[in-house]
Amino acid sequence: MARNGNGSIPQRRTIQMTHGNTTSSVTSVLTDTTYEDPILVLPDTNVIKIGGQSIMDRGRSAVFPLIEEIVENAKDHQILIGAGGGTRARHAYSLALDLDLPTGVLASIGCATSRQNARILQMLLAKHGGVYLNPEDFEKLPLYFRVGCIPVMVGMPPYEYWEKPTKGSRIPQNRTDSGVYLTAEFLGARTCIFVKDEDGLYTDDPKKNKHAKFIPKITVQELLDRDLDDLVVEHIVLENMLKARNVRSIQVINGLVKGNLTRAMNGEHVGTIISVD
Amino acid sequence: MRESLLDKQVMASTDSDTEVCILPDVNILVLGGQSILDRGKKAMTPVLDAIVKSRKKHKLVIGVGAGARVRHTYHICLDLGIPLGGMAMVAGAVDEQNTRLVASLLAKHKGIALNKDHFLDLPLWLEAGMIPITTGMPPYHYWEPPNNNADRMPTHGEDLGMFMMGEVLGGRSVIYIKDEDGLYTEDPKKNPKARLIPAIEANELLEMNLPELILEKSVVQTMVNSRHMKQVQIVNGLKPEMISRALNGEPVGTVIYCGEENHPSKGMWPWTDGRKKSAKSKNGKVGKKSVRRAR
Repeated sequence: MARNGNGSIPQRRTIQMTHGNTTSSVTSVLTDTTYEDPILVLPDTNVIKIGGQSIMDRGRSAVFPLIEEIVENAKDHQILIGAGGGTRARHAYSLALDLDLPTGVLASIGCATSRQNARILQMLLAKHGGVYLNPEDFEKLPLYFRVGCIPVMVGMPPYEYWEKPTKGSRIPQNRTDSGVYLTAEFLGARTCIFVKDEDGLYTDDPKKNKHAKFIPKITVQELLDRDLDDLVVEHIVLENMLKARNVRSIQVINGLVKGNLTRAMNGEHVGTIISVD
Repeated sequence: MRESLLDKQVMASTDSDTEVCILPDVNILVLGGQSILDRGKKAMTPVLDAIVKSRKKHKLVIGVGAGARVRHTYHICLDLGIPLGGMAMVAGAVDEQNTRLVASLLAKHKGIALNKDHFLDLPLWLEAGMIPITTGMPPYHYWEPPNNNADRMPTHGEDLGMFMMGEVLGGRSVIYIKDEDGLYTEDPKKNPKARLIPAIEANELLEMNLPELILEKSVVQTMVNSRHMKQVQIVNGLKPEMISRALNGEPVGTVIYCGEENHPSKGMWPWTDGRKKSAKSKNGKVGKKSVRRAR
């Protein structure tokens, strides 16, 4: 071995860097060096998630007014839409679970429902500039905004078979909320709004428990500490928020109430605001 | 059907101990970028020879690491203020270069580059006796989740990507080919007194909080939650005979295992499924029967 001074060990090719060279450990070279803060990629973007079960699966009565509101807002704002999965995703999961398939397979099939919803939304928005944005074409986002389009993309992050397993459940922990949140975080987006069918976060599922209380504003840490049985966004979104640089606050709003989206886009507090600080 | 997937009870009902092994015969070999590839021909030729020989007996998928160029990429990106997801996105190109290098060298021995879009074709290629070679990085791309503010580097690299491939396929083993005999208490290149750790439990390893790991920490963290891949082995590719020995079930480097029931002395290395564990022989080492022959 090299440490015995044996000259027969083939040498590594390295690259000289400002601080040490590339054989030094990543952690010591890259983290001991102070770099400037990262840039914001598209800071004017408003990332909006349209719930699958909560909005899409309700059909015309829920979707059409929302589309109208999105089109109206897109005149003044850059809007990127992420589509949720919903009932069909759950059906596919339950089938896959019954077949004893692993989390990675669930994540890869869950994507398809979200893709269907993204394509449906694109068709509804087409005459107003709705375009379907493939994750592979993510870099075309500036072009679409420049020409006034409304890009629609799948909510699921592209982890698929590489979705990590979790203890106690085989449902992928990164689903459409997570993907949409990470999109906003990467872009350094202006807002990240989750459009659902409840006013926001409750102490329990208001569809099952009438006594559930509404929570208008809460910090991520408080929410994690409460350890609620039911949450309005995927748990991992909260964990990621704690470590995030850009999107430190999200709003969950009721998309069944006309005007909510517009008000939220204008910075008003109409649902539940979950923030780090 | 309005039950929420955010409900704890619903989530808990989805656990399983009998998850399917999709390709239980597959062995994942991970070629270290800096440790093996960056050393060029002298290191690579014997490693690739060993791989080609092993393919006669075992089904293999090769994952490639990145090495010096990815470190340089990160350095430049950090200096330019490229955010985390952007770094994860551009880093993959280095893996692609290395995949092409290895695929070119192995082509005449049925080596073939496996694009992640062709993941579902794996059974065909393996049955045809091919050696698929794939980029190690998982496709997290712009969606790489943030780690804490101090550390701006992606945490899901080649080691994790290939571990996940082994895990989701319910494969037979994941073997990391590096340039040291295994995991040491410290970096042996800097401290000659560093001790080799032949076997260690994953939770224990995480608690030790070693300043440097030869393997991405995210692998050890993920192994704790894994359902199939409860062991991985790190072997020294500069001693290429170690590769076939590890594939034949010998612990020849460092075995990181999860749960005492998976200690290499109690079972075989590698086993991937509790149901196969009974295949060990009296001396605690692998019986020949337990090494399934690949076609």
